[in-house]
Amino acid sequence: MQEATFLILTALAAGSQHGYGIISDVSEISGGRVKLLAGTLYTALDRLRADGLIGVDREEIVDNRLRRYYRLTPAGEKRLADEAARLQAHATAALRRLKVNLNLAGGMA
Amino acid sequence: MNEPELHGVNDSASLERGYRRLLACYPKAFRRENGEEILAVLMACAPDGQTRPSLEASIDLLKGAARQRLRPRAGQPRSVFAAVRLMWAGAAAQLALLITIIVTAGAVKAAVLHADPAAVPAAMTHITVDKAGAPIVIAMWLALAWTINRGRDAARFGFASFFLLITMSMILSMAQGGAVYAPADFIAGAVEWSFTLAAVVLIFLPASNRYYRREAPVLV
Repeated sequence: MQEATFLILTALAAGSQHGYGIISDVSEISGGRVKLLAGTLYTALDRLRADGLIGVDREEIVDNRLRRYYRLTPAGEKRLADEAARLQAHATAALRRLKVNLNLAGGMA
Repeated sequence: MNEPELHGVNDSASLERGYRRLLACYPKAFRRENGEEILAVLMACAPDGQTRPSLEASIDLLKGAARQRLRPRAGQPRSVFAAVRLMWAGAAAQLALLITIIVTAGAVKAAVLHADPAAVPAAMTHITVDKAGAPIVIAMWLALAWTINRGRDAARFGFASFFLLITMSMILSMAQGGAVYAPADFIAGAVEWSFTLAAVVLIFLPASNRYYRREAPVLV
């Protein structure tokens, strides 16, 4: 799963959001590192909808402009949980090994 | 309304026009589903006073549009999508062939003159016909790719005729000694012909038949 996709699903895990809300949220989750652009966002949203991982929650018209709110589907929740577990397992392994290395280095000094 | 506010309205109208032009690059179905919403996001992301789409956002939209256009359509079998990609490759191959013909024309003429001076006018006519015909063939490749992609059954038979045409042109070129006098042109032509053959096989596979024999073709 691409990082942008992972972050979009994460943004929606807290509840339904519209496009601009997802962009702001992804920026916040990533500590300002990932700034989604509209083209990238909608390529991903279109794909996620086609794969059944997200769905349209509701639509509103604000200032004459269409606002569509997206939410995770049960399949999307499962997919995000699986991916998060996988990333966590990798991160844990990496940190454990780094700690072993650091301890060894500390021991030798 | 005072002046600065009027400016703001003009700025945003001009920005919106710019974004609409970029969104026009997306396929119609995608635009109908997401266009207004993307526009809303683009406008919300733009700082006040911006009058033209930013370079970053423009490149991102063009990339998105290209990705949408290069994706298989809903319900389209892999075989049909592979054939469509081969047809784009075929148009590129024909362009390469045209360039090869232009670049090697002198060498071909010299080779024919050396081997059989009487055959020079016929060879030159053949080269002229190939040069003049190439843009038409490129247009045919693209038009067929477009209609094949949209699931029009008639397009399959159009493409089969096109395949026969290319095959006949290959045979004619062989009969005139093209492989001997113009090896580069001949190889480029053979590559293009192999694309036609592969595409014909793909669009008449059983999996493809189902796509073309649907009740009503899903267009747009």
